[in-house]
Amino acid sequence: MYYRRTLTDAQINRELLDVVFRTPMWWVVIVSCLGLIVAGAASAFGFMMNQGLGVTGLQQPIFWGFFITNFIFWVGISHAGVMISAILRLSQAEWRRPMVRAAETMTVFALMTSLLQPLIHAGRPWRIFYWVFPYDWARGIWPDVRSPLVWDPTAIITYLTSSSLFVYTALIPDLAIIRDRSTGWRRTVYGILALGWHGNPRQWKLQGIAGILLSALILPVFVSVHSIVSWDFGVSLVPSWHVTVFAPYFVIGAVHSGVSAVVTLMILMRKLYKLENFIWEEHIDAVARLLIVVATAWLFFFWLDLVFALWLKEEQEMTVWHLRLFEPPWSWLFLAFIVFSYIIPVPLWMFRRVRRSFTWMLWTSLMVNVGMFLERLIIIVPALMRKGPWVFTYDTYRPSAVEVTLIVGSIALVALLLMLFSKFFPLIPVWEEKEGQKLIDEVKVGDRVIPALVKEH
Amino acid sequence: MATRTQSTRADHKWGMVIDLDRCTGCQACVIACQSENNIPLNDQSAFLDGRAIEWIRVERYWEGDYPDIKARFLPVLCQHCDNAPCESVCPVYATYHNNEGLNVQVYNRCVGTRFCGNNCPYHARLFNYWEPVWPEDLRNQLNPDVTVRTRGIMEKCTFCIQRIRRSTRGGKQVEDQAFNPACVQACPTDAMTFGDLNNPDSRVSQKWEDERAFRVLEALGTNPSVKYLKQVDAHA
Amino acid sequence: MHNGEHEFTAGPLPTHQDVARDVLGRFQDLGHRYWGWVTVLAFLFLLGIVGFIIRLSEGFNDENRANWGYFVATLAFIVTTFTAMPVISAGLRLAKANWRRPLTRVTENMAITGLLVVLMLIPALIALPSIDGRLSIWFEFPLGAPGVWDVIGYGTLAFIGLALLWGVALPDLAAARDHLPNSTRQRVIGWLSLGWVGGVRQWRVLYQGSLLAGAMYLLTYPLVQTLMISDFHHGLIPGLKDAIIPATVVVNGLQGAVGMTLLTMYLMRRLGNYEKYFSVEQFWALSKPLLSFSLLWFYFWWASFITFWYGRQPGESEVIRLLVLDEYRGALMISFFLNFIGPLIALVWNPVRRSVWGPALVGTGVVIGALVNQVRLYVSAFSVADPSQHVLHPRPATQWPEAPDLLIIVGAISGCVLLFMLVSKIIPVVSIWEIGEGLRLVKVRRYLNRYARVIAKSH
Repeated sequence: MYYRRTLTDAQINRELLDVVFRTPMWWVVIVSCLGLIVAGAASAFGFMMNQGLGVTGLQQPIFWGFFITNFIFWVGISHAGVMISAILRLSQAEWRRPMVRAAETMTVFALMTSLLQPLIHAGRPWRIFYWVFPYDWARGIWPDVRSPLVWDPTAIITYLTSSSLFVYTALIPDLAIIRDRSTGWRRTVYGILALGWHGNPRQWKLQGIAGILLSALILPVFVSVHSIVSWDFGVSLVPSWHVTVFAPYFVIGAVHSGVSAVVTLMILMRKLYKLENFIWEEHIDAVARLLIVVATAWLFFFWLDLVFALWLKEEQEMTVWHLRLFEPPWSWLFLAFIVFSYIIPVPLWMFRRVRRSFTWMLWTSLMVNVGMFLERLIIIVPALMRKGPWVFTYDTYRPSAVEVTLIVGSIALVALLLMLFSKFFPLIPVWEEKEGQKLIDEVKVGDRVIPALVKEH
Repeated sequence: MATRTQSTRADHKWGMVIDLDRCTGCQACVIACQSENNIPLNDQSAFLDGRAIEWIRVERYWEGDYPDIKARFLPVLCQHCDNAPCESVCPVYATYHNNEGLNVQVYNRCVGTRFCGNNCPYHARLFNYWEPVWPEDLRNQLNPDVTVRTRGIMEKCTFCIQRIRRSTRGGKQVEDQAFNPACVQACPTDAMTFGDLNNPDSRVSQKWEDERAFRVLEALGTNPSVKYLKQVDAHA
Repeated sequence: MHNGEHEFTAGPLPTHQDVARDVLGRFQDLGHRYWGWVTVLAFLFLLGIVGFIIRLSEGFNDENRANWGYFVATLAFIVTTFTAMPVISAGLRLAKANWRRPLTRVTENMAITGLLVVLMLIPALIALPSIDGRLSIWFEFPLGAPGVWDVIGYGTLAFIGLALLWGVALPDLAAARDHLPNSTRQRVIGWLSLGWVGGVRQWRVLYQGSLLAGAMYLLTYPLVQTLMISDFHHGLIPGLKDAIIPATVVVNGLQGAVGMTLLTMYLMRRLGNYEKYFSVEQFWALSKPLLSFSLLWFYFWWASFITFWYGRQPGESEVIRLLVLDEYRGALMISFFLNFIGPLIALVWNPVRRSVWGPALVGTGVVIGALVNQVRLYVSAFSVADPSQHVLHPRPATQWPEAPDLLIIVGAISGCVLLFMLVSKIIPVVSIWEIGEGLRLVKVRRYLNRYARVIAKSH
């Protein structure tokens, strides 16, 4: 198994910190390309602000479209970080080590991007400070706490704060390593960031306690964030949204898409930063097994949603589901969604050879996220098209070029932020890897030697 | 859960009754509303884009089968629900219930999340996708009592709150039928009745109890301030 | 409090032979105490049957359906606690948790209660009104539903449970067969051991089989809970549309399973001197899933409550008044405290988790809370006069248990415990081979100034 591969501390330092001290050409090229796309999206946003939301494909009953879909999508992606690091840290799963930081940083950047989406989507974003900040600045009136749209920013900002702290706490020992290996201004900057870390027992103890405490405290936040996002829909009266199962259904779906995104990220990272010594087939294998369980639980909730949606045989509810399931283009999108997010990937993951193949896992994990984006779109738009007995949209919702640009821009933004982060900080935690090496042992059973793990308690 | 209790100091509770048996679907109410409330002109492209703004619209539906088929009309406007789904979802109190039973929209507060629009089962709430523009020669016909709404905010029927305000300013007592919203005033068949439901003698209060009365989407429990009258045709 | 654990870490580990000798010694013994308990439980079980007969004499028809509410709630309680227990051993075995080894057999022995569940299901189904003219998960394609499908579902669950129990116990049955003196009991056990000799092929089949049966039990359990809550609760209350409720009752079941396991382990420590096997480690380890299931239960409940609360539609309001705010508010508050607040307040503290009494106390509370919660769900549903309405009107009054109901509750629970005690004298209540296997994979090593356990991960 994976802990068979032994690495010396020096080797770990050298390989993981390589990119921090050197700027390869490909990095510059990728960052510039991503930067260009983000700039393009920013101009599209400027154009939209200048002209009004008329430049989108939204229309009278379809008040929410691609931006809200994208909002849920990125909040969903952000659930991977905590899923991987907090839960696996608390349960002491050994295979978490190489992927925790990548997952946590992805959480932070995905959350930042998701927070942008409701701003972009609002009619008058320049007034949104009134709304996001739960404090009465100038209006003489407080935000209405009954509205799920007040719960949203509250939950997301809490989550953003705690996950940033989480990333930072786990980063401190590595910052100190970089500080000790650099000179000049770099030493000063990393020195300040490292907060005087010297690695004495007391500091390690405090860092460990902080990590465990943050993991435990972040879990309720993690569950609440996507639940609250789901209540944007659940507490409304829109048929097929007003469903009690939405909160856990959204959370588990978020974990599904988020963990898949971590797989994509790890495989790309391994290729780009040459981390073959740290990310192995066994790691991907373990995540894929987790994904099978998560995806199947998600399917159970999806099934509950469908069965109980039809339960009362309400006319409006049936109309919405008819639109989703049987009327093109939604029927095709629905088919694509269910095939991409479950029917193709999960049976494939049953095979050990697929689970251990980086190519297969890259494509299946990407496929899951395409499927999950479609899922959110299918939840939102058809329901709005047929929410009342009056039909306005005989045609269908078509996202405009501006909306598509902004979606592509949001993907590029997350990628860009991750590229920048991984240039200045090691994406694989150096100290976690070293700790993992210390816990390797072997046990002799009969005439066989079985790899073993030291468990503290 | 509990329906909102009416504020005790309110003198009025405005309501409307629309007699569908009288409605001919002539759209006079739509045009009257358009000019009273400074609604931009809905040209063909506005309808094709699905972005036409109509505070009151006439829904047409068919009754019976060909050849014995009849066109029926249902004017739909904001129902000023006592238990309004749009109010509780607004994060900035841009829409709230005032003590005269009106569901009011405060344009200055609105940031354009459009959640209220999603949560309105009557499709009564509309969003301004563009800055409103009028042809040069119509600039001077704008009603000075009504705010011109900028782009990026929601708007909807107000029961012509500017007329209510003008008539009841300073606690002035008004007689029944002393004023009416533009749509009611324009209705050629007298199908629409507006008035104070707190006044038991008003025309609207009397029609309110009519045996033909029903509310649209009553099962949702929104408790609208608009009732419709319709004879159930036994032969249909 | 920490003693047991310290011994295990620092002292020499017992050998497989020590464990076998000890477990089989206890197993062989059929003392007065054992028969005394069996007699008392059998008497209580008979009382339950009396209660059942009283209800039976009143017959089944739509006017007195409410009479069967407590019977169905008792059935649901057994499914939520006793019959759910094998899920724990199945799940932990799939997760390769090492600390599971001493407690798997206790939970698997409870699979026997699946038989009682199937028996109780039949009168419950007769009491259920026809699905014609009312809403149900069977829509337009009943094909004998709900009766046939429910019996098939619960029959499958009971069958898989017994297969799991029997299959995994084969090596221990063989050990008991070789250990006991010649007697009828020994011959029965010998027959049950199916000629197990411990060949390589037999072991391979056992490993694969135990994982497969466990996985099937894990998958079947949510499905039968979904059947039960849809047919016996959801379909009977007009206007209720709560898609999450199957998940809520599944979580409640897992919670009840952990709670009942903790309670069983505690009682066996106190009454049967099983301290050696059910040490603090097991209580500590089980307290964590107990806490997470408690939080999850609240979360699922809350997800449905807030949706109803915000919906404010007349149908929803009536349902929420019945189940939450009015008639069954007391029941909800009791289970709310015992299944959520109590576990949360107690189990966030590591010293409480790391004790025997803490998790056992919380577990007992969870079990009681689960009972009250089943009463809230099923008694309310059975007291609805006309399930074919669109809106629940009028709401039925709170229904308190009558004497036959109490007899049925006590009798059914005693019946489950009785079945467990009888089975435990045919199949040893502690899994000898699993503990033996665990001992081979664990070594105690010294690290600096403290001891640590090294656990081998086999594949």
